[in-house]
Amino acid sequence: MNQTIVSYLSQYEFYDVLLNLFGNNQGLLAFAIYLIVALVVVGFCATVGGLGTYAERKISADLQARMGPNRVGPYGLLQFLADGVKMLTKEDIMPYTADKFLFYLAPLLALVGVFATLAVLPWSSGFMMADLNVGVFYLIAISSLVGLAVFLGGYASNSKWSMLGGMRGASQIISYEIPVTLSVLAITLLAGGMSFGTILSHQEGTIVNWFIFHNPFAFIAFFVYGIGAMAETNRAPFDLPEAESELVSGYHTEYTGLRFGFFALAEYIEVFVVCGVGTALFLGGGNLPFNISIDIIPTQFAQVVIFVTKTCLLYYVVIWARWTLPRLRVDQLMSVCWKYLTPIAIFNLVGCAIWLVMFNGKSLADLVFGSH
Amino acid sequence: MFIELLFLTSALLTVGSAIGAAVTRNIMHSCVFLLGSLLGIAGLYATLGADFVAVSQIMVYVGGVVILMLFAVMLTGGKDFVSRAQNLLGLAPAMGNKWTYTIGLLTALVVVLTNVKLITNVVKAYPAKVIGNDFPSTVNQIGHLLVKEHVLAFELSSVLLLGALVGAAIIARPRRQG
Repeated sequence: MNQTIVSYLSQYEFYDVLLNLFGNNQGLLAFAIYLIVALVVVGFCATVGGLGTYAERKISADLQARMGPNRVGPYGLLQFLADGVKMLTKEDIMPYTADKFLFYLAPLLALVGVFATLAVLPWSSGFMMADLNVGVFYLIAISSLVGLAVFLGGYASNSKWSMLGGMRGASQIISYEIPVTLSVLAITLLAGGMSFGTILSHQEGTIVNWFIFHNPFAFIAFFVYGIGAMAETNRAPFDLPEAESELVSGYHTEYTGLRFGFFALAEYIEVFVVCGVGTALFLGGGNLPFNISIDIIPTQFAQVVIFVTKTCLLYYVVIWARWTLPRLRVDQLMSVCWKYLTPIAIFNLVGCAIWLVMFNGKSLADLVFGSH
Repeated sequence: MFIELLFLTSALLTVGSAIGAAVTRNIMHSCVFLLGSLLGIAGLYATLGADFVAVSQIMVYVGGVVILMLFAVMLTGGKDFVSRAQNLLGLAPAMGNKWTYTIGLLTALVVVLTNVKLITNVVKAYPAKVIGNDFPSTVNQIGHLLVKEHVLAFELSSVLLLGALVGAAIIARPRRQG
């Protein structure tokens, strides 16, 4: 069955105490727990998104031998709050000929699509809001709302720059969904399930048990996933939808103030989410090393710390790639996806399947060091 | 309580968006309302415990079909494609005269009544019972059904999709000169 954070917490004694507090109303308590956890997760991710802008500027400054933001707060840490206040106080401009309804809807759809993915993000083995049986599939499906939002934002602005940006965004996101999904499918094959709980439980133990080192095909699949995910989140070198040297700033050219903030926040949180998914699928997620399986609340928090650390390392790589690689042309973008990544991803999928049949599901480490 | 709440939300979203899609005069808005309606249907599937079908619904319709429709609408004229003609109530774009609507209504009534008549007998004859199964989740069950019992239909549909793909490639291929 589907595991949730409520069913995880219900194994502890304090759950019964809470239940008494709520007058034995299971539904109400479950609702309260979900509400609190959702608020915590969304709040945390919004902060991560905000700090993402700070990290982006600081790391880019580092790569370009500059200082970066250093005035607001210690080391300029509060810069993102200052930016947020600036965005809130800006005038809310809407083009006279814009499609009002879609113009308002697009940034909201982007945020909804990103926040909905947080429901299945595996912070630890117990602290996931919902460990759906179709977890990975759900995540891929619901994040396609962001592509739709990019397209609608570009259309609704009624401006040529936005329009071109939106078109590029939609076609790019749809195209790169294919190699990403195929790479994820290869991992699903190895784990024998689409829920993050299943995938994580197969990667327990040491570093050699991670799926990235399961077999050579999975190793390639990680890089295909990484490239595809970078393109899906519209990050450089795939940031053609907002290419500032040709399209002003693409699909959000006409957006100001808070609505622009929504788009920016959605992008930074989406990067965090795809990095988290990459961590969970390939890099062992929040699993503690050496099968430490004491299932108490502190180990759960330790898992959260491990998960967030690995995710932030991937986040660093994403930012690093942005500031060191030049942008692709549109035709190059499409040929990378359709002529290289997709065939490689299909090859990986078939390779993983053959590996599973030939070696009876054993990983490379099992074969080298002898299986247990 | 939550199942009821989820059902009510999904049902309201489905019906409300469907009405919106029919009533609005801007075809782009119509597409977006359709998106809401399809999401609501995914919610209904989730209420019934068919999680895989619900997610497939989102994947196929939200991620694919609606974006495709938006592209198609935009490439063929976008919001300039507004119908001026009105129906009887002045709400929806006219798709016929009063006879079309009357006949459509009567047909719908006949179809619904026939179906209700048929289904009532079936339901009376076979009262609902939950059939237990050995599968831990719907995903495993669907997988087993697809590659065991219905493998022929599954493979045939993949051939059909391949045919569609090849056909699309042939149509989109740049023509040779001469």
